[in-house]
Amino acid sequence: MKPATRFTAALAGSVFAAGLWAGAANAEVTVLGWPGGPEETALRAAADAYNAKDDVSEENKVELLFFNRDGFWDKLQADLAAGSDAFDLNLLATYSIGRYAPFMEPVELSDGAQALYGDAVLSTMQFDGKQYGVPTDLSLHFMYYRKDLIDALMSDDDAKARYAEISKEHLGTALEPKNPDDWTWDDYAATALYFTKAVNPDSPTRYGTVLQMKNLLFNIMVWQSTARSYGGDWMDADGKITVDSEAFRKGLELYKTLYDAGATPRDSLSYEFAEANAAYAAGQVAAMVQWNAAAADLTDAEKSPAVGEVTATIAPPTGPEARATHIHGLGLGLNKSAENKEGAKAFLKWLSTEEAALIYARAGGAPALSAEAVSEVAEERPDLVQLGEYAGAYGYVMNGGASANALAIYELQAKEFTGYWSGQQDLDTALANVEKGMADLLK
Amino acid sequence: MQTTHRLEWTLLATPLMAFLLVCLGFPAIVNLIYSVSDISFETLRSPELSGFGNFAAVLTDSGFWLANWFSLRFGLLTAILECLIGLGLAVFLAPLFKERSWPIAILMLPLMVAPALMGLMYRLVLHEFAGPVPHYLWAWFGNSPAFLGPNSAFWTLIVVETLQWTPFAFLLFHMAYQAIPEELREAASIDGATGFARFWRIELPLMLPTLAAALLIRFIDGFRVFDNVYVLTGSGAGGSTTSLSIYIYEAFFKQAAIGKAVAASVILFAASFAVLYGLNRLARRRRR
Repeated sequence: MKPATRFTAALAGSVFAAGLWAGAANAEVTVLGWPGGPEETALRAAADAYNAKDDVSEENKVELLFFNRDGFWDKLQADLAAGSDAFDLNLLATYSIGRYAPFMEPVELSDGAQALYGDAVLSTMQFDGKQYGVPTDLSLHFMYYRKDLIDALMSDDDAKARYAEISKEHLGTALEPKNPDDWTWDDYAATALYFTKAVNPDSPTRYGTVLQMKNLLFNIMVWQSTARSYGGDWMDADGKITVDSEAFRKGLELYKTLYDAGATPRDSLSYEFAEANAAYAAGQVAAMVQWNAAAADLTDAEKSPAVGEVTATIAPPTGPEARATHIHGLGLGLNKSAENKEGAKAFLKWLSTEEAALIYARAGGAPALSAEAVSEVAEERPDLVQLGEYAGAYGYVMNGGASANALAIYELQAKEFTGYWSGQQDLDTALANVEKGMADLLK
Repeated sequence: MQTTHRLEWTLLATPLMAFLLVCLGFPAIVNLIYSVSDISFETLRSPELSGFGNFAAVLTDSGFWLANWFSLRFGLLTAILECLIGLGLAVFLAPLFKERSWPIAILMLPLMVAPALMGLMYRLVLHEFAGPVPHYLWAWFGNSPAFLGPNSAFWTLIVVETLQWTPFAFLLFHMAYQAIPEELREAASIDGATGFARFWRIELPLMLPTLAAALLIRFIDGFRVFDNVYVLTGSGAGGSTTSLSIYIYEAFFKQAAIGKAVAASVILFAASFAVLYGLNRLARRRRR
C-alpha cells in the first residue's frame, strides 16, 4: 500500500471510529420540549434531577432539545410525519393529540399518577381511550380584574345608578354591581361597558375590557367558555354537531356587543395574548378573561407597576348552565420512531411520580395536581392551588376537542367568528359555515 | 468547432441542470403526484391517486379566489407605490447623492430587516398602549385610528410593505439614473429643454427597462407576501388578509388538507409560468 493510500485509509478508519464513539455517546433519551418559558425551566430542573439519580445509567440520561416556539406545532408535525428519530419524547397538547397520535405510542404512567393528577387532568393527554402523555402543565382561564375599581364602584351610590342606566341602555336590563366572583356574563358585560370612556365619559379607564379577537385558534379557546356556560358544545352525545345553537349565539353576540360599543380596543381584531396583556398592564382596562399564564406578570407590582398590586384573579363568569373554563394540557409523549424507547419510557414513568411533579412545580411549571399533592408546594406556588381547584370544578374540553381535526376546527371557527365580529358576515352565515366545515372535518 | 462548443456547453451546463433537477425537479414531481392524490400526514409515503378532486376543491373554494384577489391587489399596489416613490427619490435626490453617498446607506437600512421582524416591529409600534404612533396620536389629538382594524388592516399592510421595499426600487433607479450619460442631459439643456422635459423625454425613456424590471420584481415579491402579513394580522378577521401564500400554508399545516394545498400551489406555479412566458414573448417581440 502506498503511503498516501495508507494515510487515507487510516484517516477514513479514524473518522469511522469517531462516528461510532459519537453514536454510543448519543444513546441518551432526547426530549423535545416547549422552549423559552417556565415550561423550559421546569423541564430542565426535572431532567437534572433525573440524571442525578444513581439508578439512571449513562445511556439513559436525558438530553433536552428545544426549537423556536413560532410554528412549533407545524414543525413537529412535519418531523413526526417524516419519521424523525431526532427525539425520543416530544411535546403534546390536548388540542393536537389526535393529529400526532398516529406517529406516537401510548405510554404507561407510574402507579400513583391517577391519585396525583386525577382523571380530568389525565384525560387531557388521552386519545381514543389511550394515554399518550404525561400531563406536565395545565392551561385554563382566569378573570383578571381591578380590585380598586370594583371596590370604588360598589361603594358609590351614584356610580351604581349610572351602572344601572348603562346596563339598561345596552343590555336591556338594569343591573346592580356585584362582587366579581358572583358575575354572570351579563354582569361582566355591564362592568365592561361602565368602565369604557366611549360609553361612560367619567370612567377612570379607557376600556372596560380587552378581548382577544384575532383570527387565531387560541383566541377561540378563550372565547368559547361564554358559549359553554350557556350550555354549548361542539357535538352532542350522538356526534351531531350542535354549534348552531342559542348558546353559541349568546357567546358570539356578547363579544360583538362589547366590540361595537367600544368596550375593547379598536384593534382587538388583531389582538392575542401579548397585546391583551399590554393593554391591561397599561392600567386602561378594568377586567379581562385571559390565560392563567399571565398571572405571574399581571399580579407582580414590579413587572406591571400600574396594575400589579390591584389585580385579582377568579374563575370566568358563570352562565345559566355552568361556570366554565376551557382547559388543555401540555405534556410529553413517546415518538413512535424513537431510538431509545426503553430509556424514554423509564423517564416518562418517573416524570409521572409525585417526586417529579413537585420538582417541576417548584421550578416554575404549572402541573394541575390533586389537593393533597399541591399542599406540598402551596406556600411557594399559591397559584397552583387555584389552578387545580378551577380545573377540577370548572374545567371542560369540548366534545371533539381532542379529535384528529380539533386544530382545524378551531381554525375554522376563528376564521368564521372573527368574520362575524368584524361585520363581514352575519351570525347565521358564520354558524352555518362552521357547521358545514365541521361536518367535513369530523367525517 | 461546433462539436467542441456543444461539448463545452454540455459540460458547463451539467452541474446547473443536476442542481435544478434535484432541488426543483424532485419537489415538483412530488407536488404533482400529491396534487392528484388522497394524501394526509399519515400517508405521505404512500399517496393514493384520486384524480383531480383537489383541483376542483381549490377552484370552487371562495377562499382561494379571495386570497388571489388579496395577493393581486397587494402585489400591484405595493409595486406601483414602491416604484413611484423609489423613482422620485432617485431623481430628486440625485444632486445630493452626487455630492455625498452616505445617505444612500441610511435609505437602505429597511432592507436589512427580515420581513417577519418588520411585522413584529409594527405590531409593537402600532399597539395602542405600547406603540409610539398611537401614543402620540392620543396625546396630540385625543384619539387614534385602529391601524389593524378590519377596514384599515389592508392599507396598513400596504404602507408597511412599501416602507420596507421602496429602498430596493430606489437602488435600481439610482443606478439606472447614474448610468445615463451626462452629455445627453447637457445636450438637451443646450437645446432649451426644461428640467421636467429632460426627465420626461430623455431620462425616463432611458430608465424604462429598469422601471419594467423593478415593477415585475416588486409585483412578484408583493404577490407572494407571507411573513410580515402573517406576523402582523395573521390571515385577518374573517380571512380578510389571506394572501395566496398564507392560504397554501394554512391549508397544509392548519387544516391538514395537503392535497388541496399542493393543488393550489400547482395552479399558482402554472399561472406564474404562463405570465412569465407571456412577458418573455412580449419582450422578445419588442426587441425585434
